[in-house]
Amino acid sequence: MYSIEIKNLTKIYRKGFWGIKVPAVVDVSFNVHSGYVTGFVGPNGAGKTTTIKTIMGLVYPQRGEVRVHECSIADYRARNGVAYLSEQPYFYGHLTTRESLAFASHLLNLDKKRINDEVDRVLDLVELSHKSKSKVKEMSKGMQQRLNMAQALLGKPKLMILDEPMSGMDPPGRRLFRTLFKDLAKSGITIFFSTHVLEDIESVCDRVVVLSKGKKTYDGAVNELLEKGFKGTEIELEQDPQVLTELILNAGCTVDQHSERSWIITVPPGIENAIILEMLNNNKLYPARIERRKSSMEELLYSGGGAQ
Amino acid sequence: MIKSTSYIAQNTFKETIRNKILYNILLVAGIALVLSISFGDLSVFSRGQVMADFGLATMSLTGLLLAVFIGVGMLGVEITTKTIYGVITKPVTRTSFILGKFFGLIATLMLNFILIAAVFFITIRVMGAGQSFTMFNAVLLLLIEMIVIVAAAIFFSSFTTPTLSAIFTLGFYIAGHLNDLVNIGAEQQNNPVWRSILKGLFYILPNLENFNIRTAVVYSLPVPSGFIAMAVLYGFLYASMLLLLSIALFSRKDL
Repeated sequence: MYSIEIKNLTKIYRKGFWGIKVPAVVDVSFNVHSGYVTGFVGPNGAGKTTTIKTIMGLVYPQRGEVRVHECSIADYRARNGVAYLSEQPYFYGHLTTRESLAFASHLLNLDKKRINDEVDRVLDLVELSHKSKSKVKEMSKGMQQRLNMAQALLGKPKLMILDEPMSGMDPPGRRLFRTLFKDLAKSGITIFFSTHVLEDIESVCDRVVVLSKGKKTYDGAVNELLEKGFKGTEIELEQDPQVLTELILNAGCTVDQHSERSWIITVPPGIENAIILEMLNNNKLYPARIERRKSSMEELLYSGGGAQ
Repeated sequence: MIKSTSYIAQNTFKETIRNKILYNILLVAGIALVLSISFGDLSVFSRGQVMADFGLATMSLTGLLLAVFIGVGMLGVEITTKTIYGVITKPVTRTSFILGKFFGLIATLMLNFILIAAVFFITIRVMGAGQSFTMFNAVLLLLIEMIVIVAAAIFFSSFTTPTLSAIFTLGFYIAGHLNDLVNIGAEQQNNPVWRSILKGLFYILPNLENFNIRTAVVYSLPVPSGFIAMAVLYGFLYASMLLLLSIALFSRKDL
């Protein structure tokens, strides 16, 4: 089951006096699986924010279809049970923290009687209870981003769409957000978030969608992506494996002398390490180091390593 | 939809009420109204006539400033500062947003008009100048005019920048008061193309002079029966048309 379905989405902006066409997203299709944390990755200008804005009804696409919880985004009810957190916090400066959250609660049609309790709950979650009477314009950017997260948590949404949620946050704030994401994911909320921080993908996400220059380059599970990046195993020896070189090469591996007393056998993916290790053991050659070699997340995502 | 419109209107009202510009405009208006007492002594006309004329002109100008500063600021600035994201990303229609903004601004405008009108009527009463029912009607028509101006400010803000919408709204106000001249120009034009263009402008632009019965107040002239009702109806219809156009433009706008 999908929380978001995007089919052949195309958005072209017109810039300047002559209305020059600038494609932001071109023929992009993917689905966001319900109950999973899906990362949305891509370099600056890849079209992530445009895609997210389209899902939230802020931007209208030229072509394609976007459905949220099986409801077309042309219908405002598609945003029922959906929380959005923008990259920058945008709040009315004249309101206090509590008033801002109460206003958002009203727009979400929350029960009037439980708005106060709900505001207290979310303020507590983002550790802002002590700032409930502060004017938003007097708060730091990090605090405002926490408030932004608090408004996204109002009414226990089914789907959270977050655009660079940790941008401009200090390390304690980032830790708090990561913990929150994990707790929310455990409670079954679908999370779709764009990020530049690749650690977040490995530590928080189940799935990842990669955009580059307005086109999708990968869509799948993070584990599968990491598996794709597996480059084999390195076995380092401090004794010359000369007697076994032919056998090792015949098995499909490579042997390189790294330094005067160091030889590295590279076992490519698809060959059992155990076979090579047994061969070495039988010849009293004992590995000094065994290491799985893999592409970095950055290589996988941005150099087309994960292209699909 | 009604609920969300009402919450947006309440928030807009709260925002404008907390805006310092509002109090500066009100202060200037209050001072001008009180000063009209001394202007009455300097004029060849009676003090009551001058006070009524000057007072109504002050109210018209104050209303215009309020409508432009607050009206343009409310929607245009909200789009440029992106505070609108916090509303449109909720289950709220864009129609609700425009209507909420409009009604919130109208509530602020009405409250301010009541305050200015109170100062106006108190000043006139204290100075012993006569008050007439036409005077109340004149204030009512000024309020209707300002409702049209707020709708125009929202209309211009729905497709252009705050600075341009402020300029367009002021232009709309001036053109609206000179609309009769456009019609006269069209009648005197020999070139059929220019004649059609001027006639078109005459019908598109509002005739804001319909809301001006200052001369009747000052010289105690009778106002034809049904004129006030027709002017109020005209104002509401024109404002509704501008709001419908704003909604249509804003509904497809990328934010």
